[in-house]
Amino acid sequence: MRRRDFLKVAATSATGAVLFAGCGRIGDGVPETEFKIAQPVYTPNDWAFGRDAWFATAAPPDQGGYGLIVRVFEGRAKKVDGNPDFPGVLGKSDARAQALVQELYHPDRLAGPQRAATRGSGQFQPISWDSALQEVAQILRDAGGERAVLITTRPSSSQAAIIAAFQRVTGIRHAILEPDELVVLRSVVRRLFGVSTLPIPDLANASFLLNFGAEFLHGWIAPVQLARAYGEFRQGRPGQRGLYYHVGPRLSATAANADRWFPIVPGTEGLIALAIANVLLTEGAVPRDRFAPYFAALGLDEARLTNDYSPERVATTSGLTAEQIRDLAHALVEHEPAVVIAGTNAAASTNGLFNLVATLGLNLLLDSLNQPGGLLLNPEPPLPELRIMDDAILTQRQWAELFQQIQSGAISTVLVYRANPVYALPPATGAAEALRAAQHVVSFSPFVDETTQLADIVLPDQAWLEQWGLEVPDPGPGFAAVAVRQPVVQPFVDARAFGDVLIQLATQLGQPLPWASQEEATKTLALQLRRLGRGNIQAADDKQFLVTLQAQGGWWDEQSRGSGTVPSSPVVQPREPSFAGDSAQFPYLLVPYPLPSIGYGELAHLPWLQALPEPISTNVWQSWVEVAQRTADELGLSTGDVVRLITPQATVELPVYVNPAGQPGLVAIPFGQGHTALGRYAEGRGVNPLTLVAPENDSDAGTLAWCATRCRIEKTGRRARLARFEGMVPAFQLEEFPIVRVMAPSA
Amino acid sequence: MRYIRLILFVLVVLVVMAIPLALVLARTYFLSPTAQPVKAQPIQFPHQVHVQAIGLDCTYCHRNATTSAQATLPALELCMQCHKIIPSQGRPELEKLVAAFQQNQPILWNKVHQLPDHTHFVHSVHLSFGFQCSTCHGDVGAMGKPGVKQVRDLRMGDCITCHQQNGARTDCSVCHY
Repeated sequence: MRRRDFLKVAATSATGAVLFAGCGRIGDGVPETEFKIAQPVYTPNDWAFGRDAWFATAAPPDQGGYGLIVRVFEGRAKKVDGNPDFPGVLGKSDARAQALVQELYHPDRLAGPQRAATRGSGQFQPISWDSALQEVAQILRDAGGERAVLITTRPSSSQAAIIAAFQRVTGIRHAILEPDELVVLRSVVRRLFGVSTLPIPDLANASFLLNFGAEFLHGWIAPVQLARAYGEFRQGRPGQRGLYYHVGPRLSATAANADRWFPIVPGTEGLIALAIANVLLTEGAVPRDRFAPYFAALGLDEARLTNDYSPERVATTSGLTAEQIRDLAHALVEHEPAVVIAGTNAAASTNGLFNLVATLGLNLLLDSLNQPGGLLLNPEPPLPELRIMDDAILTQRQWAELFQQIQSGAISTVLVYRANPVYALPPATGAAEALRAAQHVVSFSPFVDETTQLADIVLPDQAWLEQWGLEVPDPGPGFAAVAVRQPVVQPFVDARAFGDVLIQLATQLGQPLPWASQEEATKTLALQLRRLGRGNIQAADDKQFLVTLQAQGGWWDEQSRGSGTVPSSPVVQPREPSFAGDSAQFPYLLVPYPLPSIGYGELAHLPWLQALPEPISTNVWQSWVEVAQRTADELGLSTGDVVRLITPQATVELPVYVNPAGQPGLVAIPFGQGHTALGRYAEGRGVNPLTLVAPENDSDAGTLAWCATRCRIEKTGRRARLARFEGMVPAFQLEEFPIVRVMAPSA
Repeated sequence: MRYIRLILFVLVVLVVMAIPLALVLARTYFLSPTAQPVKAQPIQFPHQVHVQAIGLDCTYCHRNATTSAQATLPALELCMQCHKIIPSQGRPELEKLVAAFQQNQPILWNKVHQLPDHTHFVHSVHLSFGFQCSTCHGDVGAMGKPGVKQVRDLRMGDCITCHQQNGARTDCSVCHY
């Protein structure tokens, strides 16, 4: 090094040191309130004992409703964790549960009831609870029950009881908005196994897991329970490591965990399952009598399965080779016990119902239902009141019909609780137009989301950590379990629990419900559990029962197991997937996928979850297009190039992320962004894939097939920086002092 | 004259290298917690009146110091046990207290003693070992208006020195857990 170079380096490092030393001052934190201590007005409970308190509560219903504990200090909820006693999760939690405190302290939470200046303006003025309740009661009185509809997200079990009672006195219609893949799954489980609750694979005792697309480690039906069981599956038994094969179009983080990933054309999961069944039948690997219910469910017979669904035939459509399909079939019988699960993409094709019936039906062939290491069926909720009615869960086709009725004036009043149909359904469903046409729209959401923006009156619900409730986890741990939700902090804002508001509305209508509040409903229902005379809680009286229930976080009965039936009539006929768009004009298949953090966008308002990297690309806070290396090479793209993504439905511009492990011919895009409301952290970033996909339905289930659209990509010539962790700091090789020395083996 | 360029070079190098060192030292001095001015507080609370004049023990208000990690601020409820019979009229600081209590508003104090990030400090352990509050906090009882000042560094060097002097563990996980 020359003297001049040395001086340059020294001067640069000196300047750097000065700059870094100058960054920040002690006690100069962001946010500013970090260095404030709130002196409470009244002595918080935990201070009486002089230490931080952990209260047991429950996860929200759409996150699985399992048991949580929350650390509370100085009257503030500080940290959420899994309840170590609660069956299934045993102390584990996930990022979505951790972020519950952000819902509580969110700066955009509605502080009290509001009235819109004009509908759709997004401008709201605070009003009093009394006048708001009177007004809503008057609306309901005028409209009558048959001209009103209550649209909710999946309610908690105790809310379901209150809603059912409210329905009985008002006659209002109840509609539940759930992601379409779950609607298909519930329908398949009900028709195939005869149960209304979701089953849970007993991974902890299984030797082999065959998964058709279900993102079971990252956001599918019970990610916490399944991720914990997956740890047991892989490492819990000394000397025996469970084997996991993943069949699906995209190398997701769940697929990346597998021992083998079988990339396929989306929507061919069911056909592959039939080819597997074909191999099992022709090779005589499983007893023939087990095929009867499988054939019954699919309307097949032995001859058709042998002739039409041979591995060679399915190989041409599915993207696998016949040998790979045989490998899958052999693995199923060589590693016992084996279990098959399916979901996410597999349920979102135009043949989603068939895919799930054919794949989950393989469990019938393996005789793995309710066997250790197989698919455990969950019992019905221990009390009939805690059941969430399946017929209230609408498919996309039914939503379109409902919105048609609203637009035609047959339904004049819409009540919306925490559901966001304007965002969560494709624009073609007509949610926004219907709400604009409705006479009255009342929202119970704690945040101004796209649907609440179209409301006249908002009666905000409390945060999950502020209210009472009972949750029957769905899926449960394989036996009856109920988690109790209790407030862990005093309410921060002038919100009221949704159940309380329904009860107060019913009282105003002159038809009081059996309970005075959501708290009373929760406790009354909990005491009915005591009357069952079984379960984990031994108590001498009601008070002791409630105290123990709240301290343990739930009630469970390991003896109460689920049982099902086998199908005897056809559920669905085998069908091949179809895709919207001409393959010459749109050469690629568009594969949207839910994110492990913000899911389908319902949690996009929580900054911790926005900042949680998507595990494969490590991208955060935005939307991007994931293309395979070969596709990128063909089009001359590299990560960060902005492209025009064109589907028959719409055109958007997004930055590209080149994934070396992507499947050529597929273009993947995450769900969750593209909000035009829902607070400062969600608004105005990325695109909502539902605006891109063609409104294709699964004609058997009536659900939206969001994985059935073709697309093409055009370069724009512009570039954008992707916010991500991976590869942001380039690696330098120092010339003179190599950090890693390459040594000969003999050295 | 033969070495003049070399000597000059060495001098320049020394000066260049001394600049960041001096700046870092200056920052340490001027920005050290003890060098900070007394922070403005929502109420100018005189510890002097409560400790020296009335003779209250520290733990009368900071009730959890001996039993938990945090010493904790008293709830306003506790302040009001005495202050409901002490006239507040014409005493602006007391009026703020009464108003906050009546309006059910917590008081947001500015934190005086700043520990470095990612550390845990447990009050009860140190008190049961036999330390006085004043070992770390100084003679708070003598601090009147406008408020309390941090008198001890309370950064890692300070903690480790004291731990070594008193035979306490000094492995990372004692504080960073």
